[in-house]
Amino acid sequence: MHQALPSKGRAGVPMRLYRHRRRGASPFVLAAAIAVAALSLLPVGFVLVVLFQSGWDTASALLFRPRIGELLINTMLLEVLAVPLSIALALALAWLTERSDLKWRALWRWLAVAPLAIPAFVQAYAWDSAIPVLRGLWPAVLVSVLAYFPLVYLPVIAQLRRLDPAMEDVAATLGTRPLAVFLRVVLPQLRLAISGGALLIALHLLSEYGLYVLIRYDTLTVAIVSQFQAVYDGPAANLMGIVLVFLAVIFLAAEAWLRGERRYARVGGGAARQVALVKLGIWWPLFMALPLLVTVLAIGLPVVTLLRWLLIGGIESWHLPQLVSATWQTAGYALAGAVTVCIMALPIAWLAARAPGPVQKTLENIHFQVGALPGVIVALALVAVTVRVALPLYQTIATLLLAYVLLYLPRAIVSVRASLAQVPIELERAATALGRPPLVAVVGVTLRLAFPGIAAGMALVAMGITTELTATLMLSPIGTETLATQFWARTGEFDHVGAAPFALAMVVLSLPLCIILHSQATGARSS
Amino acid sequence: MTRTFLATLALTLTFAAPALAQDNGLTVYTSQHQALTQEWADAFTAKTGIPVAIRKGTDVLMANQIVQEGLNSPADIFLTENSPAMMMVQDADLFLPVAPETLANTPEQFRPESGMWTGIAARTTMLVYNTEMISEDELPVSMLDLANPEWQGRWGAAPAGADFQAIVSALLELRGTEETANWLVGLKQNALPYRGNFEAMRGANVGEVAAALIYNYYYFGDQAGTGESSNKLKVHYFANKDPGAFVSVSGGGVLKASDNPEAAQQFLAFVTGPEGQAILRDGHSYEYAIASGIEPNPALPPLSTIDSPDIDPSLLNAQEVVQLMTAAGVI
Amino acid sequence: MTVLHIANLGKTYGTTTALAGINLDVAMGSRTVIVGPSGSGKTTLLRLIAGFETPDEGKIELNGELIADPEVGVPAHRRNIGLVMQEGALFPHLSVLDNICFGIRSEADASARALALMDLTELDRSMAQRQPHQLSGGQQQRVALARALARQPRLMLLDEPFSALDAGLREQMRDATAQILAQAGVATVLVTHDRDEAMGFADQLVILRDGRLVQAGSPKALYRRPIDATTAAFLGAAIILPADFSGRVAECALGALPLPEDDTAEGTGTVLIRPEQVTIGPAPNSTEWKVASVLDRGNKSTVTIERLYRGQMATISFDHVSAQVLEAGQAVQVSVTGTVHPLRG
Repeated sequence: MHQALPSKGRAGVPMRLYRHRRRGASPFVLAAAIAVAALSLLPVGFVLVVLFQSGWDTASALLFRPRIGELLINTMLLEVLAVPLSIALALALAWLTERSDLKWRALWRWLAVAPLAIPAFVQAYAWDSAIPVLRGLWPAVLVSVLAYFPLVYLPVIAQLRRLDPAMEDVAATLGTRPLAVFLRVVLPQLRLAISGGALLIALHLLSEYGLYVLIRYDTLTVAIVSQFQAVYDGPAANLMGIVLVFLAVIFLAAEAWLRGERRYARVGGGAARQVALVKLGIWWPLFMALPLLVTVLAIGLPVVTLLRWLLIGGIESWHLPQLVSATWQTAGYALAGAVTVCIMALPIAWLAARAPGPVQKTLENIHFQVGALPGVIVALALVAVTVRVALPLYQTIATLLLAYVLLYLPRAIVSVRASLAQVPIELERAATALGRPPLVAVVGVTLRLAFPGIAAGMALVAMGITTELTATLMLSPIGTETLATQFWARTGEFDHVGAAPFALAMVVLSLPLCIILHSQATGARSS
Repeated sequence: MTRTFLATLALTLTFAAPALAQDNGLTVYTSQHQALTQEWADAFTAKTGIPVAIRKGTDVLMANQIVQEGLNSPADIFLTENSPAMMMVQDADLFLPVAPETLANTPEQFRPESGMWTGIAARTTMLVYNTEMISEDELPVSMLDLANPEWQGRWGAAPAGADFQAIVSALLELRGTEETANWLVGLKQNALPYRGNFEAMRGANVGEVAAALIYNYYYFGDQAGTGESSNKLKVHYFANKDPGAFVSVSGGGVLKASDNPEAAQQFLAFVTGPEGQAILRDGHSYEYAIASGIEPNPALPPLSTIDSPDIDPSLLNAQEVVQLMTAAGVI
Repeated sequence: MTVLHIANLGKTYGTTTALAGINLDVAMGSRTVIVGPSGSGKTTLLRLIAGFETPDEGKIELNGELIADPEVGVPAHRRNIGLVMQEGALFPHLSVLDNICFGIRSEADASARALALMDLTELDRSMAQRQPHQLSGGQQQRVALARALARQPRLMLLDEPFSALDAGLREQMRDATAQILAQAGVATVLVTHDRDEAMGFADQLVILRDGRLVQAGSPKALYRRPIDATTAAFLGAAIILPADFSGRVAECALGALPLPEDDTAEGTGTVLIRPEQVTIGPAPNSTEWKVASVLDRGNKSTVTIERLYRGQMATISFDHVSAQVLEAGQAVQVSVTGTVHPLRG
């Protein structure tokens, strides 16, 4: 029935009729998202192939040996101690900085986020060089908590600020003491934030390498990297990798179960007003001791140690050419990685924001689950795949960037999706109505408006790459020396003085991360 | 905003460019000390104008990597800390024979008969002990004594490292599989595992353990510097050709995969030549210079004073050591 | 007997005066409504009473005991003052029953009392295990009320409790709440910006404006005798005309109107006449008033009449409900029933 009508559009351009496109996602975007998801499945596929190829006898001999049990116990002990302690510390600090009249709350809030600027292995390096006898479980727990508690603190303060303060007022009028109000009313509504943050910490502890090597605590990841360094692409490391993946999957499931189906969203809009602050009264110095102590331990000690080594070493220890070259290369990788990751995040983020549905949900889940896998697994998978089937890609920048993509895709998706969702589709339609072809409308209007948010996502990814150690150690091409690998090589050669400038550079490069995350949590910038 | 986006992209490419650059000189896979390798490379480049890129790893990791890369390896030269890794590459038939005049630089006891690689340096095994925790007469006579119950929790080592694995491979060669496996079980029970030799030494110095089994240069390096990680320690060399008196040979070889074998041979000749060995003598590595008649660093006790076992470096087996250590749950 | 006694209460935030010189008494079992536009300080007053803010001046007493002055205060959780908020503020993670039991959890008969309260607030007992998000707005408010009543509070505070409800439901909930509170015998303070809610609920109406208490009294008294023109207009449609007062007579464009015995005035000022006091009818012979315009909206019409009074054109507009048809230009007769009220200020 469709016939070209002899009518004229604007400025004499003849109007043509086009066949209707099916509603829903454009097939191109969908295909791109599926391609990225397939790529994400690479490490999982690797794990399955390893299990299948090594055969039952080898697998069981290598999996069910006392060493694995020992590592499993070590890893789980660390998790069951460090995760709850991090939650408790984060909650206590969140309560003090958001719900009490503690002096200088804004300062303490910044200082509670600031440990994120100090990579965990730098934190451990500082502790190790300050107190050399630190070793084993409890020091590992201490440094883990100090390095990672902000991952719970941030979502918790964000959620606290979204909660309806009326709830807490009403609870007080019902005769509930302030602490009980926090426990009975506020805490249950923080469940999502806490379980999400705790999952992040649990996964970080699972994949952390440098910290535990320096504190001399053997976890699965430490053992995998040791095996890898002793044997390279061998069955023992790969099979330990399966145990690690298994743990990651358990943590994901546990979080989903804890989070539950229900979501406690506030009924109304954003918090109408500042909630009444609990007066600490004459006990305030006692309460201030906590953030003070945390600051001294998590920031003071590493910073002082770093400065001490820098001072001892003097200017000669800076190895300026190497520092400059490492900074340059790190920046190059970080930027290239950030751009690649965000571009690859676009299709799925686009689907999530514009055409949500079951297919999109599945694809998104695939992206996220892979982000939960430790860097060491991703690196093992890529070494195996490139060595065996894609040798031209072996030890190339492309492979390292691919590892970064797999590791940081979830971070990017969250940011890109949020910023796309904030651009009303009406603007795109308006642009189309004003004569822009759809793709031009998308690029010219939506992407342009979403760019600040996407840029923030890129910054997050870039800073993750800046301090990435494990995968970079295992995959970096010849001649690549990032700040993290230089730092690591020097601490390995007991060159504390020489390592300090690289640590400092990483801390400085990570500072913007704190600023972005802080402003996201406190709602200072994003809506 | 589009401009910002493009600017970011442009900046990214500019930044990424140096990382993408690959020079067309030599590529050295090394598990030797980064600083030492760098000094060799810089001096070689200064002399010949040939640029040298370095990839640092550990012995077995690098060897495995070369084996898996095969003839496609980007490496031209392989330098190690210990000889077992050299044998892995030799067994995979990936070395070119070393030029005869280069071989002549190194005395025979420090290189394999095959001539597929050559010795470039040596290090000695020793026990350092904290004088506040242990007296001289309590010291073990043999390294094997460290597996005895009285040593439980009292000594440290870095079992995941290549150095220690070389020591174990010497033990394996001298005493066989069963005794080695038993000793590893004792090690697992008795020794505190450290990330590296230096940490093990420092552990002894701060009193975490009474003694540490390490290579010589960690101690002498620290003594030459601040000494703050070794000031409470004394050195004990095992005698009677004990496995614990093992002298480990660091090797160097030219790879078949090299696309510039002439320059690679030149590099190896340089390292074993007077200039390369002088870097060992005068530098801060505290490894023994062994070739071209260069005397070792005067801070080190002469090799002739050490009653080391006679081991053909080409007989040390890295793979079996890793299997034994994995079986013992050490790694 | 007075439950709540507030004397000379003041509160400032930085340089902004939120409340100043507030004096207020709430009698036992009574319902006081504090009404005022947003920013008038009514929420601050409520929060001071509840214990979420500390006063900078004055004092608050509950049953004769001091609960807050600038120096000392009883914390909110020890005041036993009930609070119902705008959207109910039910705890989203607790069931209906657990919400109601929240404040009496430790007591043995908590569940039984909660069920009794559900009966009182006309919540079906089958709802006990429901989650808050499964309830309608009205039901949520009933749960909030039951929850606050469970502790048998000495005073009940309601913070705009009906404003989130639909118009029809709002009136129904208002009456139901008044009845429930009467049965419970709890003195209540409700704050609102809504005139109908205030008038419909209050025994005592308190007008707040710019942080000051403008006037307090029964709704009827305030309606009839507001203190000023703004209050008069706030409480209902008002005809306000310039007038000369002499004892019990106000002389204005509508003629000489009587003032009540206890509400006399002297001199010139303005007088308040409520539209329902005014009767209007066609009077072809009248020379005084004539219809300027009629805006007919079917069941009622807005009529504007005018006359020349003391050399100036006086104009009055009011809603007129009548079957009589008025047309523009028509001469009319206007009469006023009852007494009128002189406005001061």
